[in-house]
Amino acid sequence: MEKLYKILEGIRSDIDFRNNTVKLIDDGVLDSFDIIAIIGELNEAFEVEISVEELLPENFNSPEAMMDLIHKLQEEV
Amino acid sequence: MAAVCAVYFIVPIKCRWAVLLAASYLFYWWNSAYLAFVLAGMTAITWLIGLWLERKNQKSAEYIKLHKEEMDASARKSYKLSVTKRKKWILFLGILLDLGVLLFFKYYNFFLENTSPLLAYLGIDPDAFKLDLLLPLGISFYTLQAIAYMVDMYRGKYKADHHFFKFALFMSFFPQIVQGPIARHNALAEQLQTGHAFDFTRLKYGCQLILWGFMKKLILADRIGILSDTVFGSYKDYGGMVLLFSVILYGLQVYGDFSGGMDIARGVSQIFGIELELNFRQPYFAKSIEEFWRRWHITLGAWMRDYIFYPLSLSKRFGALGRGARKIFGNYIGKKLPSFLAMFIVYFLVGFWHGSSWKYVAYGIWNGVIITAGILLEPVYQKGLALFRVKEKSYGWSLFQMFRTFLLCSVGRFFPRAASCTAAIVMMKQVCLSPQPWQLVDGTLLTLGLDGKDMAVLFGMVVLVLLVDIAHERGIRIRETVASQGLVCRWLVYWTAFYLIVIFGIYGPAYSSAAFIYQQF
Repeated sequence: MEKLYKILEGIRSDIDFRNNTVKLIDDGVLDSFDIIAIIGELNEAFEVEISVEELLPENFNSPEAMMDLIHKLQEEV
Repeated sequence: MAAVCAVYFIVPIKCRWAVLLAASYLFYWWNSAYLAFVLAGMTAITWLIGLWLERKNQKSAEYIKLHKEEMDASARKSYKLSVTKRKKWILFLGILLDLGVLLFFKYYNFFLENTSPLLAYLGIDPDAFKLDLLLPLGISFYTLQAIAYMVDMYRGKYKADHHFFKFALFMSFFPQIVQGPIARHNALAEQLQTGHAFDFTRLKYGCQLILWGFMKKLILADRIGILSDTVFGSYKDYGGMVLLFSVILYGLQVYGDFSGGMDIARGVSQIFGIELELNFRQPYFAKSIEEFWRRWHITLGAWMRDYIFYPLSLSKRFGALGRGARKIFGNYIGKKLPSFLAMFIVYFLVGFWHGSSWKYVAYGIWNGVIITAGILLEPVYQKGLALFRVKEKSYGWSLFQMFRTFLLCSVGRFFPRAASCTAAIVMMKQVCLSPQPWQLVDGTLLTLGLDGKDMAVLFGMVVLVLLVDIAHERGIRIRETVASQGLVCRWLVYWTAFYLIVIFGIYGPAYSSAAFIYQQF
């Protein structure tokens, strides 16, 4: 989880991801450029391949949801 | 409309969707006659492709489930890849057919004009191939709806619609077919297909929204339209400041026209118990062009994001491009390059979608360049802010950002409003090189088709729209506030709105209003 937080903070240092209470996508905190940057970093760091089919708000609304997605993709490999 | 409403609420609840379908096709036939067959044909193509893709998804899931024991991870992956490849071909066929119809009707003559030197070189007379084509009403909007549906089926996002006529309603729903909002099947179809009981509150709120939409359209947009036609029809007669003033007003005209049309569409739908998606969220309060496009024509932006920007940015080719760019330009640019390229393609398409002319492409590129510059120059801005000790969260800075965005958006509108790209550039030059600011105060403004009284009405309406937008931005729900007032106060508001439309609305012959700007797209 720490690895994920560091990636997210590296992309958007102005957001407190650790104590986040809002929905990152639904509430418009992250924009599409952020999402693309996050996916690029996650693919590299966790050796997964997040495809466009996984680009659903529920997969990116919180760091926990992103971690769940990563675990799901890692299990599939 | 009243007749459709009456029939809708009289027939049994299960059949109410059929009333909407019949009304939608009647409306379409009344407007476009035989072009309704184009809509019906595209509906049939999209529906069949959707079923085909769903069948592929189901078969592949069943196969994997059945052979779960015998298949290892790599066998499963290679099977999934082969299915995806076949699905891609089906999707490609669907998009080719639907997009082909749009390209033919909207861009055939444009392509012919732009290839005429080549055709002439080959000894072919391009004029011999020119066709007098009528653009089917709303084709730019329902084509995007159709493509979104097929891509969603390809991605297995939700179940396909098995009922052809119910699907036909999703493609043709009359309040939104002219100019959107561009709907997604999973958000709209069920609402359309489920019959809704009569609800007086919904009728009240729907009518309020329709009234407000007509106010924006008839009092604001169509009034500015008179001034726009005068100035941009002979732009060489005016100084740069008058042109700038007019293009700013033109921005407000498009806002009144398009958002007014959306309010009318949403209000009509609401009466039937159907909630259409929001297409505008106070766009002129945006602090950057990027944010502006998230608040303006929201459903087009969301469509471009989900079906062009994300697939392109996440594609293997763009990934490889990013890796290559990192080696040459370093990490910062390399990481952003694929997104920038995808964004440029999106804005090129947004421009091209608006019309078959290079001026619309230029408008798209104008927006793309400003957004790119904004992101690339972010570190410079930050240094500048620190140097001048500007507090980023201060009210003054926010106001400045809004004004800057408003101005950049307005200047960009020279492109879509001008007769051609060249005319737009000439006007931009005039703003810089021949401003003639005295024309703003020497009475010139009153010779542009609007007299003093019209200008006063216009100013009042702009202030009213601004106040309503401020209230919405602060989360105040105006319709609920009005509805909660006493009977006298409530009806005073309704009648005032009604009489304002009747007295101050701009009408053509036989009290007809001008066509919606986005209707032509």
